[in-house]
Amino acid sequence: MQAYIVQRLILIPLTIIAVSILVFVFMRVIPGDAAAVRCGASGVADQTCIEGLRRELGLDICDKSQNFFGDVSCTAEQYWKWVSEIFGGDFGQEIVPPKPIADQLWWRLGNTLQLGMLSIVVSMGIGIPIGILSAIRAGKLSDYAARLFAILALSVPNFWIGTLIVALPAFFWQQRWVPDWTGWADPGTHMRILVIAALVLGISSAGYLARIARSSMLEVMRSDYVRTARAKGLRETIIIVRHTFRPSMITVFTIAGLQFSGILGGSVIIEQLFTIPGLGAWIVNNVGDRDFQVIQATALIFATWFVIIRLLVDVGYTYIDPRIRY
Amino acid sequence: MTATAPGQEDLGLGPHAEQGSRLARGGRAAVRFARLQPGGAFGLAVVLLVVVAAVFAPYLNTIGDGERDVRRIALAEGRELDSTGYLQPPNADWWFGTNSAGQDVWSRVIYGARPALIIGVGSVAIAMVIAIALSLAMGLLKGFVDGVLLRLLETGIAVPGILWLILFTTAIERSLPVIVAAIALSFAPITTLVLRGNVLQEASTAYVEAARVVGASNLRIMLRHILPNLLPLAIVNASIIVPAAIMAEAGLSFLGFGLPPPSPSWGVDIGPAARAYFYTAWWLPIFPGLALSLTVLAFNFLGDSLRDVLDPRLRGSGLI
Repeated sequence: MQAYIVQRLILIPLTIIAVSILVFVFMRVIPGDAAAVRCGASGVADQTCIEGLRRELGLDICDKSQNFFGDVSCTAEQYWKWVSEIFGGDFGQEIVPPKPIADQLWWRLGNTLQLGMLSIVVSMGIGIPIGILSAIRAGKLSDYAARLFAILALSVPNFWIGTLIVALPAFFWQQRWVPDWTGWADPGTHMRILVIAALVLGISSAGYLARIARSSMLEVMRSDYVRTARAKGLRETIIIVRHTFRPSMITVFTIAGLQFSGILGGSVIIEQLFTIPGLGAWIVNNVGDRDFQVIQATALIFATWFVIIRLLVDVGYTYIDPRIRY
Repeated sequence: MTATAPGQEDLGLGPHAEQGSRLARGGRAAVRFARLQPGGAFGLAVVLLVVVAAVFAPYLNTIGDGERDVRRIALAEGRELDSTGYLQPPNADWWFGTNSAGQDVWSRVIYGARPALIIGVGSVAIAMVIAIALSLAMGLLKGFVDGVLLRLLETGIAVPGILWLILFTTAIERSLPVIVAAIALSFAPITTLVLRGNVLQEASTAYVEAARVVGASNLRIMLRHILPNLLPLAIVNASIIVPAAIMAEAGLSFLGFGLPPPSPSWGVDIGPAARAYFYTAWWLPIFPGLALSLTVLAFNFLGDSLRDVLDPRLRGSGLI
């Protein structure tokens, strides 16, 4: 077990390094850079503007070399510089506005995490009870209703529901259900945005979780020891609460853990929709501006969160289910 | 408990199917299928409708590539239209209304079935080929190659798929082939990991052991014994990711990184270019979104019943 954790802890940095290289290279392949975008936007897309801005932003560093090998070694040098600065807590500068990325990174991560955690609460709070109910009443009308809900929640795109929630009240009742972002300065508004966004985001994961909960409950209910318990004459409630619920929740919690590792990515679209200043909205806005530093930093945070949560899920797994050994 | 699980009954397709004309037999089989797998039958029906819409789009009261233009028609009739006249609510002429550019929403919804199907089926087909090849190779070569590929695949899934899609389309171009390739690549790692698990599971079974004892080479075991047993699982997997791929394209277009705006696509029509008009025209987001939801729902239903039939381990458990 300990050997397994150590092994995983060694692999985590490897994965993160691989992600950082991949994203870094991607950023160099994307045509156009921040200078070209900004000079083009102000209507003066002439060469002097672009060259001046490139020099100012330090984008021209690797222009001098004439051959492929020179390019590669210069890019590698830049990569090394970027990585070594991160260890000092310096993620570089955002271009517009010209502020250190680290200033915004943690604040935005906080907003995204608030949304993500709330959406996991929604996912588990709705998905698990519905799945269990569906399994207990398998084959009955309420089971079909629950399964229909689950597959609908999975299939209807959450960004479409979100769009309707933003647009339709404005059309029909001249009302805004989702106010502008205020942060914790106005806790009521803040919670209102978060709860609506989390409901929209969490409902599709709830559908998935409900299906998992239902099928794993049914699987346990069919096992021999549950039949034995029933043969002993135990009441159905006791069988379900004591003998079925716990073992069937192993799979459910694993899936919920996996959903938890993906919450940062899941928020990319929803943040854009509800104008929540999180990491997802940041990255989408900056791809257009070609602000490479912001994209690299955010992608790195996404990957780090993902691998760490995955490790915790795998380790937590052995505590929920002692039969599992690594 | 004594009722036969869905998918286990004779579907009337085997040699014991009752007598009668071919058509009548086919009809009875269809009715039985609908009774045993109502969800699957519903899914199949809707998917067929979407295919019909995609193939016969020009003949379904559409004009042009979703470019039917109220403005042009008004000018031809000698009427002047101010820009608010471009937007028409649903009526007898424009079933789903028109958008801010005066295009017919019905035409765009019908034509939108094309990119959805091409992306859903095309990208999943590519992803499955990659995943089957890689998972077999990993099972065959084991050791170092397996380890390196495993790390690379984990790198692929550590960053959210939507981010890869955004970077990919920005780096190359926002066109249908590029989006198909991007979605295929973004789904390939996770699918490969799942299939690799299946390959390893198959490799530890008794019949593979027996083949090895007889002296079959590793390559032969992979291609002749494991691959045929992997295919049903691959089909089940593919049926799960087709709706996800359609949803991914819609999400990408929704963010403004998918197909460029004039092209008809459900994601584009609920995307950033159209969004400003949603507050004045409710029909703009409703119809493309309904088409998208219904298509994804149908593929999910179809996938569920396909899984019931093809994956015996899950048979009778209902859903996944």
